Amino acid sequence: MPYWYYDKKDLQNTPSFRDGISNENENRYRKEGARFIIDTGSKMDLGYNTVATGVVYFHRFYMFHSFRTFPRYITACCCLFLAGKVEETPKKCKDIIKVARSLLTDQKFSTFGEDPKEEVMTLERILLQTIKFDLQVEHPYGYLLKYAKCLKGDKTKLQKMVQMAWTFVNDSLCTTLCLQWEPEVIAVALMFLAGKLSKFEVVDWNGRIPKHNAWWDMFVEDITMELLEDICHQVLDLYSMQAQPSGGDSPPIPSTTKPPKNEKKPPSGTPPTSVSPVAPVVNKTATPVKNGAGMGVGMGMEPRPELPRAGAGAGAEARFPLYGAPPGAYCAPPPRLPPPPRLPPPPRLPLPLVYSEPPPSYPPVLVPPVPPPPYYPPRPYYPPP
Amino acid sequence: MSASTSTPRSPLSSSSFSNVNGLLPNAKKYEEINVIGTGAYGTVYKARDLLNDGHIVAMKKVKVALTEDGIPLSTVREIALLRQLEAYRHPNIVRLLDVCHGGQSMERDQQLVLFLVFEHVEQDLDSFLKRSPGPLSENRIRSMSYDILSGIDFLHSHRIVHRDLKPHNLLVTRAGRVKLADFGLAKTYDADMKLTSVVVTLWYRPPEVLLGVSYNTAVDVWSCGCVLAELHTRAPLMPGTSDSEQLHCIFRLLGRPSRFEWPDNVSILPDSFPDYPPKNLADVIPNIHPDALDLIRRMLVFDPAKRLTALDCLEHPYFTDEPLM
Ligand SMILES: Nc1ncnc2c1ncn2[C@@H]1O[C@H](COP(=O)(O)OP(=O)(O)OP(=O)(O)O)[C@@H](O)[C@H]1O
Ligand SMILES: [Mg+2]
Repeated sequence: MPYWYYDKKDLQNTPSFRDGISNENENRYRKEGARFIIDTGSKMDLGYNTVATGVVYFHRFYMFHSFRTFPRYITACCCLFLAGKVEETPKKCKDIIKVARSLLTDQKFSTFGEDPKEEVMTLERILLQTIKFDLQVEHPYGYLLKYAKCLKGDKTKLQKMVQMAWTFVNDSLCTTLCLQWEPEVIAVALMFLAGKLSKFEVVDWNGRIPKHNAWWDMFVEDITMELLEDICHQVLDLYSMQAQPSGGDSPPIPSTTKPPKNEKKPPSGTPPTSVSPVAPVVNKTATPVKNGAGMGVGMGMEPRPELPRAGAGAGAEARFPLYGAPPGAYCAPPPRLPPPPRLPPPPRLPLPLVYSEPPPSYPPVLVPPVPPPPYYPPRPYYPPP
Repeated sequence: MSASTSTPRSPLSSSSFSNVNGLLPNAKKYEEINVIGTGAYGTVYKARDLLNDGHIVAMKKVKVALTEDGIPLSTVREIALLRQLEAYRHPNIVRLLDVCHGGQSMERDQQLVLFLVFEHVEQDLDSFLKRSPGPLSENRIRSMSYDILSGIDFLHSHRIVHRDLKPHNLLVTRAGRVKLADFGLAKTYDADMKLTSVVVTLWYRPPEVLLGVSYNTAVDVWSCGCVLAELHTRAPLMPGTSDSEQLHCIFRLLGRPSRFEWPDNVSILPDSFPDYPPKNLADVIPNIHPDALDLIRRMLVFDPAKRLTALDCLEHPYFTDEPLM
């Protein structure tokens, strides 16, 4: 079975990097591609699952190909196209292209070539092969809702926390987290973050046993505080990154003989072997979670990134409503948003302060999230080993 | 034949996207050794996995008609599900190791050639039974029966109906375990890729399919009942030669159903069959363990709703009274 998780070293030494694209630029291309899938998907009323599946394909694809070889927006279209089939929410290729056309500048759309539909169809086969026909992808959303059901405490606060975590999951699609951690782990980490930011401290939960130090011990074994913080920071970094210029330029197409510019080491041939892709998330690390560490005020996150603060202005507001409040809450298609470059940089605040602030304005959520029935209900009959 | 895939870690550089077809390099991953079987929907090859020490695999070649919107949704869904099932590594399901498609040269016009790469299993149940020098031991029959039913129950729990259970589609490992093969692509097969020249066996078909009424997971229980009987006798229980012949075979065994049992909306009426009296299954399968007999009887029930489910079967005294070897 294919393996889809990578360590940070692999994520730096990607085909694009070996093709002379800096990590910084690659991450920007990934972010723009993911954002474009989200925007296109929302505009076409595709559900969050389809959109997220498309984004995961996109990230996986570029672990095998360079952004120089495959321009990101056409790959993005193809990923959404295939995700639509897999999630049984198919969209016509020509309709996806039509929406893409409306969202992209002429220059960006020119990468679609003479016959955009034909290009996407051809790419579909390359995409299928690249992702090894491993089409069914799980996302943190379902876990988020499942975990939330077990938490006790003030209903309104819990609701707010879940909603915030949901938004973080949406935004996490713009990072490479789905290439690093199973959806269960991401769900735990982003709920943890949302809990911090919305000041919802989980002190009790259904199914609690003395062995559990924190609620997530029920779902993911041996998750460390370092790991949680690392994941949170990767998402939070997105918000500070908006200050950076993010142009619409594509990587220059090099002549085929040009050697990679910044190759530092030979390409690593094998994916990391630390975590099994199919195994349930257990024994991820040897370090057990310290009792309630980080649940209080002194949570001990390193003061690394900057956070947006409440009411950080149009920019921060625009970031959040994007395509998803939890299911049930979302009905109207999201507003068209200005592209990131025009957003003002979020104010920089030292961490301790920021963590006591609520995050920027969130869309109101009225209905408790109801998980959609999975098409093939995973009956835990034969648990994966 | 060349099943080729893109070499993941070293993408070919190309200066123009329109040249993208060149990006599927012809790195051969599998080398065909010989044809194992030709079925109605494709050919199965024995092959060498060149990237894996020449390990022997079984490759099924399936042709898929491309639609206006590329690869049909049903095929994408079915492969996604097969891949997903694989995560469970069920012991009675043949391992699906890889899926790839033939290089561009293989694709004629609106057709895509898919290769499903499975673990290679020694032989199928058909040849196993044919090669067996004498009757199988009671324990062997019981453990094989349990294997088959476990595999079926697993598929059913994932909403997959096999639809074509028969000794040819049951693989027997060297250790004598049985694994289900050839399922999950029903819609892809249905599309239009059928080779009409291949005769499809009717012997394991339940009455509801022969009568053309809607069917569900119970079809597999019927087919499995036929296979369980065959494990005892090493001969097909109801070897019909046409749809109507097959119905005659069934009614000769079960007796002709009454008009009340007959499903609605069927053009053929029960009167068109002789009023066969039911046979005693014990006479048809001599020396059968009484529990096995009871189980098979409850599987070969005309009304699909009254058949045991695969899970029921696994909980039958035949399997639970004595520990399985
Ligand atoms: N994994 C395998 N290992 C060894 N032999 C296999 C394997 N899979 C299939 N075979 C052999 O190839 C034959 C045909 O395979 P399969 O049933 O998948 O094709 P099919 O086209 O559906 O044939 P049919 O119509 O007879 O069912 C099987 O009867 C079996 O003997
Ligand atoms: Mg077959």
